[in-house]
Amino acid sequence: MSYKLTRIDPDAPQDSQYPVGERRVVDDPMDDQVHRNVFMGKLENIMHNVVNWGRKNSLWPYNFGLSCCYVEMTTAFTAPHDVARFGSEVLRASPRQADVMVVSGTCFVKMAPIIQQLYDQMLEPKWVISMGSCANSGGMYDIYSVVQGVDKFLPVDVYIPGCPPRPEAFLQGLQLLQDSIQQERRPLTWVVGDQGVYKAEMPSQRDKKRDERIAVTELRSPDEV
Amino acid sequence: MTSETSQAGNTGFAIVDELKARFGEANLVVQPTLTGMPVVWVAREQLIEVMHFVQQVRKPFVMLYDLHGVDERLRMHRSGLPPADFTVFYQLMSLERNSELMIKVALHEDDLRVPTLCNVYLNANWYEREVFDMFGIEFTGHPHLTRMLMPPTWHGHPLRKDYPARATEFDPYTLTMEGQDREQEALRFNPEEWGMKRQSGDTDYMFLNLGPNHPSVHGVFRIALQLDGEEVVDCVPDIGYHHRGAEKMAERQSWHSYIPYTDRIDYTGGVMNNLPYILATEKLAGITVTPRAETIRVMMSEMFRINSHLLFLGTFLQDLGAMSPVFYTFSDRQRAYYVIEAITGFRMHPAWFRIGGVAHDLPRGWDRLVREFLDWMPPRLDEYERAMMDNSIVRERTVNIATHTTAEALTWGVTGPNLRATGLKYDLRKAKPYSGYENFDFDIPVGTNGDVFDRGMLRIEEMRQSLRIIEQCLKNMPEGDYKADHPLTTPPPRDKMLQHIETLITHFLQVSWGPVLKPNESFQMIEATKGLNSYYLTSDGNTMSYRTRIRTPSFAHLQHIPAVINGGFVPDLIAHLGSIDFVMADVDR
Repeated sequence: MSYKLTRIDPDAPQDSQYPVGERRVVDDPMDDQVHRNVFMGKLENIMHNVVNWGRKNSLWPYNFGLSCCYVEMTTAFTAPHDVARFGSEVLRASPRQADVMVVSGTCFVKMAPIIQQLYDQMLEPKWVISMGSCANSGGMYDIYSVVQGVDKFLPVDVYIPGCPPRPEAFLQGLQLLQDSIQQERRPLTWVVGDQGVYKAEMPSQRDKKRDERIAVTELRSPDEV
Repeated sequence: MTSETSQAGNTGFAIVDELKARFGEANLVVQPTLTGMPVVWVAREQLIEVMHFVQQVRKPFVMLYDLHGVDERLRMHRSGLPPADFTVFYQLMSLERNSELMIKVALHEDDLRVPTLCNVYLNANWYEREVFDMFGIEFTGHPHLTRMLMPPTWHGHPLRKDYPARATEFDPYTLTMEGQDREQEALRFNPEEWGMKRQSGDTDYMFLNLGPNHPSVHGVFRIALQLDGEEVVDCVPDIGYHHRGAEKMAERQSWHSYIPYTDRIDYTGGVMNNLPYILATEKLAGITVTPRAETIRVMMSEMFRINSHLLFLGTFLQDLGAMSPVFYTFSDRQRAYYVIEAITGFRMHPAWFRIGGVAHDLPRGWDRLVREFLDWMPPRLDEYERAMMDNSIVRERTVNIATHTTAEALTWGVTGPNLRATGLKYDLRKAKPYSGYENFDFDIPVGTNGDVFDRGMLRIEEMRQSLRIIEQCLKNMPEGDYKADHPLTTPPPRDKMLQHIETLITHFLQVSWGPVLKPNESFQMIEATKGLNSYYLTSDGNTMSYRTRIRTPSFAHLQHIPAVINGGFVPDLIAHLGSIDFVMADVDR
């Protein structure tokens, strides 16, 4: 599996563009010669798996909403959809306590610097879900006041399509993020070893489901409830 | 289109004669339109005098309902109107006359100045700031003429015709570290700019910035508070963090393809947002829809009113610190969505109404779903009333908190449930029925104190009334077509297309380019979930609107906040914000 490596430079110059830090696609760092020896390699693998398992099952979302999608996101948090099944019911109103920021709604030019500030206030490890067409690409709002996709300045982990996506789609996006977190390679300690963050390059859902989707020929008639 | 037909059966035109008698016929130009209200052009020099007159005339125009501008420079069809590069229009409402009045002022490009109306109608303040922001028109004498919707660092005036609409016409958006600091610095609240003191006597005021991202501001709304301990001495709401350029968007989408954008104005209102837009376009097109289409529209609108009020109830009580109501009300919303989804095919933004009807006929079995919902809701509402509104903590937090009188509400342009909570029995569905509301039997719930509690309680009662309306729709759904038989119905019925090549070409043009509507102006106001919502459309004989003005209730409600909350406590502000039921898309559009 290939990984996207992110290295943060704490001394980045003031005119550097968001998202700051170096990003490039690399091979699995665990495939190195040193890691392949029976003893250390296995141990490190187990350590990563255990830590990732803990992280992915207690994702605390940031209570942050921009527009319509936020209503559907909230719907996912309430009883009928019950996000607690996936360990993400601990909504935090402060970015400092949150793990995942769901950009649910349109990213406005006036709002973008504020979103960036809130993202910067979150502590690592942190993730970003872009929810809805507006956050993904500007969607139907190709208009002067809207940033054409939040990934113009934030590093996005999962994109959820829809306008707005159904709560079920949000839950699926959350699970995809969990899958991706399980594969992550983050430094196990801040004193020893590589300090880069390796995020797995997950397969596109569109490619994965294409065959299944185009195989559908009989669509349900809208004449019947 | 003659002025006689637009005036037929409308007594609201009496004001024109009163104006003529006072200011002389030569000084006024009366514009015939399809808006259903008198549209009178006055000279800029006379504006303030005219406004004073209509405010003090017998049966006065008590409310400044709307104020905005039009860039007239590219408009082709404006014969008989005073020459103008830009127009500022003022829409006033009189409850006693049950009518509106539109005053227009023509401006020349080289002299874009109008005297401010802030001293006549208080709520002109924000509207004038928005017009300044969008058109660059200066309001002389305005107390604080700065940008309203766009960031303070913005260049240009977006609603001008020579301003590009698309983001992709500009350079792609980038944000640098120093750029972020600069933008944040520009947004810093400076009390001196607003005439606030930093201390008084031996008190040092604290300035608290609430928002634009805070759990209790329902989206991206910011309010700067001047605090003396817990007490709010003064506050300045700051909006524009949710400006999606919906009015500019209307100038580039066809009449038909703009419908989905209306859904997203008051995004909890779903298809109810389509209604004023569709009704206004149908006036331009001259379409009368079938009773079945009207009844379907009413039924779906009321479904969304319940849906929106349920969202309100849950989040309102959550703002007061009650955790569980939101879980209950969202379960009910899920049940409402079963009905909505089965009928329209989508949850929040179905964009389901069409020019001349609705998108699809009701599916078989719709009545069973609606019946299930009607049986489900009433006991739940009783339970909410008992468990939530009888709760002593809720009462302590809400009764006699953030009260305002009817007169104050009218001064600030407050409409809808927030106006009725003050005891005024004004509901547009009764006062000026549209889409067949005159055929339904329902009551107008009113409050007594105009406080936070009344605003909450009133909405529970409104849901009961909406259920009554839906019940009547269910029992009396008329047979017939769900689309009007009219050449401008969009999309046109398919069976009309398959006759011969001519019908096919017409169909093709109407589907690809969209319908062309005759040059005129039309207007439709509805009683939306949050108050009076209206679309004022100007057609220049094209496939697109020349100017679409969307008047939203929440804009006025937010402007009203300082008048209510100054002197109160911070927790009262949170209770008030929860009780006025706003969504930011309904403010900034």
